[in-house]
Amino acid sequence: MTSRRGFLGGAGAAAGALAALGAPSMAHANAMPFFGPHQSGIATPQQSHVFFAVFDLTTDRRDDLIGVMRDWTLASALLQAGLPVDHFGHDPAEPDSGEAIGLNPARLTLTFGFGPELFTYQGKDRYGLAARRPAALVDLPVFPGDQLQADKTGGALMVQACADDPQVAFHAVRQLARIADGAVTLNWTQAGYSSAAPNGGTPRNLMGFKDGTMNPNTADPKAMAASVWVGPEGPAWMQGGSYMVARRIRIALQHWDQMKVAFQEQVVGRHKRSGAPLGKTSEFAPLELDATDADGNPVIPANAHVRLGAPAVNDGVEILRRSFSYSEGVSFTAERWPPWRQAMEYNAGLLFICYQKDPRGGFIRIFGPMSRLDALNQFTTHEGSGIFACPPGAAKGGYIGQALFDAA
Amino acid sequence: MRRCLKSSALKSFWCALPIALAVGASPPAGAETTGSYLAGLHRHELLGSMIPANGDQNPYAIFVAPVSSGAIKAGDVLVDNFNARSNDQGTGTTIMDYNPATKQASLFASIPAKLDGCPGGVGLSTAMAMLKSGWIIVGSAPSTDGTTKTLGQGCLIVLDSNGKVAGTITGPEIRDPWGNMAVIENGDAASLFVSNVGFGIGAPGQAPVRQATVLRLDLKIPDGKPPVVTRRTVIGSGFAAQPDASVFLIGPTGLALSGDGTLYVSDAIGNRVVAIGEAATRTDSAGTGREVSAGGMLKRPLAMAFAPNGDLLVINALNGQVVEMDPKSGTQRGAQWIDSDAAQNPPGSGDLFGIAMAPDGKGFYYVEDDANTLMLAE
Repeated sequence: MTSRRGFLGGAGAAAGALAALGAPSMAHANAMPFFGPHQSGIATPQQSHVFFAVFDLTTDRRDDLIGVMRDWTLASALLQAGLPVDHFGHDPAEPDSGEAIGLNPARLTLTFGFGPELFTYQGKDRYGLAARRPAALVDLPVFPGDQLQADKTGGALMVQACADDPQVAFHAVRQLARIADGAVTLNWTQAGYSSAAPNGGTPRNLMGFKDGTMNPNTADPKAMAASVWVGPEGPAWMQGGSYMVARRIRIALQHWDQMKVAFQEQVVGRHKRSGAPLGKTSEFAPLELDATDADGNPVIPANAHVRLGAPAVNDGVEILRRSFSYSEGVSFTAERWPPWRQAMEYNAGLLFICYQKDPRGGFIRIFGPMSRLDALNQFTTHEGSGIFACPPGAAKGGYIGQALFDAA
Repeated sequence: MRRCLKSSALKSFWCALPIALAVGASPPAGAETTGSYLAGLHRHELLGSMIPANGDQNPYAIFVAPVSSGAIKAGDVLVDNFNARSNDQGTGTTIMDYNPATKQASLFASIPAKLDGCPGGVGLSTAMAMLKSGWIIVGSAPSTDGTTKTLGQGCLIVLDSNGKVAGTITGPEIRDPWGNMAVIENGDAASLFVSNVGFGIGAPGQAPVRQATVLRLDLKIPDGKPPVVTRRTVIGSGFAAQPDASVFLIGPTGLALSGDGTLYVSDAIGNRVVAIGEAATRTDSAGTGREVSAGGMLKRPLAMAFAPNGDLLVINALNGQVVEMDPKSGTQRGAQWIDSDAAQNPPGSGDLFGIAMAPDGKGFYYVEDDANTLMLAE
């Protein structure tokens, strides 16, 4: 079907609005810049909410896809500035849905990624991009314990909307979906939250532990270049971009809540309150993985989560984790570990999101052994999954992914 | 005695009481054993994951290779998996090979899920042995849906030392070979002891059925050819077995043969260990044998092995302990938490299954089904 959105009609008005963005008076204190060498929402200090959405494409026309990316780029710049996107869409009588009117931008960032299905879908090269699929955009291997559900897995276009206001984040995705109606269809979504203490610091996940202590320093360009941003080893259109792996991980919280804290700490390998490695007092104390007790048993257990994720046992690999918790009702669940609990349980867990310069040496390298050995696996089940190539940021006048389409 | 010190080894605490003397259980005067074996063990080392590339899990049987042959080196630890990637019990088809020298585990055998001569399919059980002639024999207690509702008859599968299927052994005496095997080898002849737990078993919810057997298979091993069964003798019968929604099947599991020809059998439902005398030579059934020890620290006993001091080591199903007992007197000397994973209650419940002594006698191998790993206690 034809997917003509209001791209052309909206462009002029949008361009005017964008031009106005340059004026200092237009810049809201809580507005994150959209244009730049890297997409926002990766190195950006983590917001409190995410609305994660994965779309499939319903058009076979390359121009439609390019139109979507142009529209989304322009619209995103406005949305991140806290402006409505009335001028995009099929019908001027169907403007911005409006629920963000009067709200500040809440540090909204919109980050886009291309899934394997963009390059090849059911064996078909719909957009002449198959030859441009980066080697690093592999199909994720099947990991032990995976219970991936088709309605929470894969997809062609990914939008990560992060903001300090959940309504702002959801609003942004709704607008993008509205604008691209006829060309895209929602595949799966996941809302999430991440609450850091008022004084900052590493946020805690639903298991009550700090999550992200060993992240690379996002303020350090060298650290980011070493582990997150694609460099000259990647195709030109991806340089300055990054690869996202997303996993929807259900956590058996009722089971976890029955566990003694000391046991939880053995599972994680850190003290719960301080976040310090076992036997230490400071969250950022180095992991002494070789430390043993009098019997020669390791102080940080051999299958503790923190050990298996440590760069020291993963060829020095670091990935940038940017995860959010979710909780959304209950459902009947049969756990897959002794004692095989079967009960109505929370649909809750972690939308694990990580960025890296190459998933083969990043998530896959780390999670391979982890999926086999991690003591935490007794409480976690991976139900959703996606891998996406997130191109570099766009310059004003350009659009996200432009170098891919220009090259192909 | 130390109690519940913070563990280092695993995910929880080792209630490090390496030995917990049972109330009123002191070694009997004149016992052959001179001290507790478990008391000398303090380290619990994670050797590796037993999950192969196909995602099989739930490791059950452990057998230490007696010789080098084909792909196997003497001392390698063979471990089979009872579950496929789906985590359905009775569907696992793989055997892993852990090499202690290289500290690497690799896939040894991947058996077709459907095998002519193995009624009901393949789900590899705790019954596994390697003969000095290089042949591996492994039991199948298969299901198609992960429960005994679809329990098949199963079989014994014969593999060569490169992991290729060389044949199957089946017949009316063989019904879901289950427990760890005991083996006698004598040149080109051998005897295998295996429990059969599937007789009369239906869907979960069924009351215990007292039809499980212990079968002795006498084998002839022609030079370069797979073993041939020359005689089948039911030497134990009337053991209780029961289907279970969580753990699939409960029945006689541990078989350990002592030097005097007595076969010790763990009667899981009876929560006891019994003995069948003259196991290698008898031509009739001893019924459920003579009770050696019951209750106490036993919590649904599973696989068993003899320690170098002559004591029996008995794996518990309902906690993470291994129990040491004097087989002569039945005295339970103590127990050690070898899996104190507090994700289960009691810790380690449902996690343990197989056990095999390390060739140097300094420790033993065991599996942890909560983590799908092979462990070494030493």
